[in-house]
Amino acid sequence: MISAINSLNTALPFLYFFLFFSYGYEFISEENKFRKANRIYLIIVLITHFFYIISRTIEFNHPPITAKAEIFTIIAFSVALSYLLLEIFSKVSGTGVFIIFISFLFQVFSSLFIEDLLEVPDIFRNKLLGIHVVSAILGYSGFTISAVYGILYLMLYKDIKISNFGLIFNRLPNLETLERLSFISAVIGFMLLSLAIVIGLFWLPWAFPDFSIWDPKLLVSLLIWIIYGYVIFAKWFNDLPSKKVVLYLIADFCFVIISMILTSFFTKSFHYFG
Amino acid sequence: MDLLGISINHRTADISLREKLFCSPEEIRNLIPELKKNIFSEGVVISTCNRTEIFGIPVSDNISYSDILNFIKDWKKINDITEKNIERYFSCSAVKHIFNVSAGIDSMIPGDSQILGQVKEAFTISSDNNFSELFINRLSDTAIKVGKRTISETKIGEGAVTISYAAVQVIGKIFSNLDKKSALVIGAGQTASLAANHLKDKNIGKIFITNRTLANSIILADKTGAVTIPFEEFKLHLHKFDIIISATSSPGFLLSEKEIKESMIKRRNNPVCIMDIALPRDISPEARDIEYVFYNDIDSLKNIVDENIKRRKTEIIKIDNIIMEEMISFHNWCNNLNIVPAIKLLREFFEDIGNDELNKIKNKVTEDDYIKLEAMTKRLIGRLLHNPTMKLKSISESSLSEQEKLKETAIIKEIFGLNGKIENKALN
Repeated sequence: MISAINSLNTALPFLYFFLFFSYGYEFISEENKFRKANRIYLIIVLITHFFYIISRTIEFNHPPITAKAEIFTIIAFSVALSYLLLEIFSKVSGTGVFIIFISFLFQVFSSLFIEDLLEVPDIFRNKLLGIHVVSAILGYSGFTISAVYGILYLMLYKDIKISNFGLIFNRLPNLETLERLSFISAVIGFMLLSLAIVIGLFWLPWAFPDFSIWDPKLLVSLLIWIIYGYVIFAKWFNDLPSKKVVLYLIADFCFVIISMILTSFFTKSFHYFG
Repeated sequence: MDLLGISINHRTADISLREKLFCSPEEIRNLIPELKKNIFSEGVVISTCNRTEIFGIPVSDNISYSDILNFIKDWKKINDITEKNIERYFSCSAVKHIFNVSAGIDSMIPGDSQILGQVKEAFTISSDNNFSELFINRLSDTAIKVGKRTISETKIGEGAVTISYAAVQVIGKIFSNLDKKSALVIGAGQTASLAANHLKDKNIGKIFITNRTLANSIILADKTGAVTIPFEEFKLHLHKFDIIISATSSPGFLLSEKEIKESMIKRRNNPVCIMDIALPRDISPEARDIEYVFYNDIDSLKNIVDENIKRRKTEIIKIDNIIMEEMISFHNWCNNLNIVPAIKLLREFFEDIGNDELNKIKNKVTEDDYIKLEAMTKRLIGRLLHNPTMKLKSISESSLSEQEKLKETAIIKEIFGLNGKIENKALN
């Protein structure tokens, strides 16, 4: 089992790289015939990745959420899975290259630094913690995809504004679709983060004796929840212009990244996984 | 393959000459009997705004390009047409040219979507007027096949190649639900009309038309199912439109930056796509700088057109391959044109002899014996013809030239007296 896990750990970055390359080729070559093949390949990669996650969980007797490198493989998986669902339900393809690249980066980092942790605190084997972490990761994956579509929106917006009708103009879906994808991803991310926060607020005080409401990670998560909530609220109720929505979502994502780095590396928290 | 023909097209003649040479379908129907009497036994006349072409099988070996040219000169009563205005085609080059035309790669803009329909119509006219027989019918089928394969197997027809269609292409890159958008077309001339039709084809929710002359806007609105707005009032409703296409002959700007800014405030900055396809321009180009305004004029839209034409040209290699495949298939068919009837006639010749002999003894033998004799005769004919048939088939499938194939089959035809019958059979 261990050797199979190690082999998959080595193979996954390559699988994501070829997937990224394949989507990139589809985007540049402007050949739609690769669309179906790429989707099938994406499904195969996701099944392999899922098998890898399950294998790790069984082998090490805990879900891979105990260290940064473990969480990164979950992020890589959830971003790719979210993209697959988005591609299927929105019927928009051709943007896979931009999303899969993120999965590839996270998986490379995970594969390089992941350790076979056999001994972990019992708390990490708790099912509620599993739901809390997975929903938080899926939520942040939603925010990531939202930001990527937001950036693509800005690129296309600029190209149309300056009448530059090149590859971006030809290959990306229209502005309204990009804005919609960005917004829907953010809404899904927001709902999943809400679930993670609710579970956290009820369960964390019970699980962690040193729980504090003033914990920096908790405060940052609440802040992220508030700023995304504001944009969603403003878009729904105040009819915020599309470009502003996208700019806010990108700014929110930048805040997520910066705050995560700051709280993970420069503050002490009970809410620590690595 | 004796196909002969001339083409007067956008490469060889200016528009005024092409206009003079244009033949309507009715005119082609009247022209065919004369052409059949003097020039071609069967053929086709293709006439569009960009070309007039006459191709066919000459009634005699003496028919030359000049005869075809003089015929068209006399028919259209045009004297200013010279040898320089014609392209000459014979045999394979003629077939290839017709395939190039039906594939749309001989058009002024590669991938012209109308040409295949025009070629189809030309062949139909020939067929309806008994001007097409075995050869032209096969040529027609293959030319249409080439055109269809070109559309389904290549991207030659993709992308906008007119300014008005390029404008619609840009609109499609901004909005997703076009059926929920409203568009205003300013002007009712040819360009505005084309744009309005493209918008209608794209299922734009509501189309409004405004023009200085109300009557013209009503005519265009009737054609496109649009609603007219009095020219004096359209600025009051500017904020209601997601798409504005302007194509008037106004000497100055109809819409200033300020007016558009004001309408954007009323629109609460919902994006608007402005296509100024007028020359001189109708809308201040400074509108380009306003947030959420996507402004394009003829120059910027021409970039799309040029880019699409460039892309289409890259597809020509694929189309050349399709044409080559169909040329080979057509050439093989032509080569078999003499051999297949020869095999058939040879078999008929032997069967006739067999039947004659069987009839002679029919009343002299019992019914059972007759059945046996009949079966034996069939077997005998089959065995006797096996080798000659195989030989003829191998000749038809060989890489020999048409002349060499004819030489090889000549001896069989000579021995059994099949000469003369074959050509008639081929054409019936």
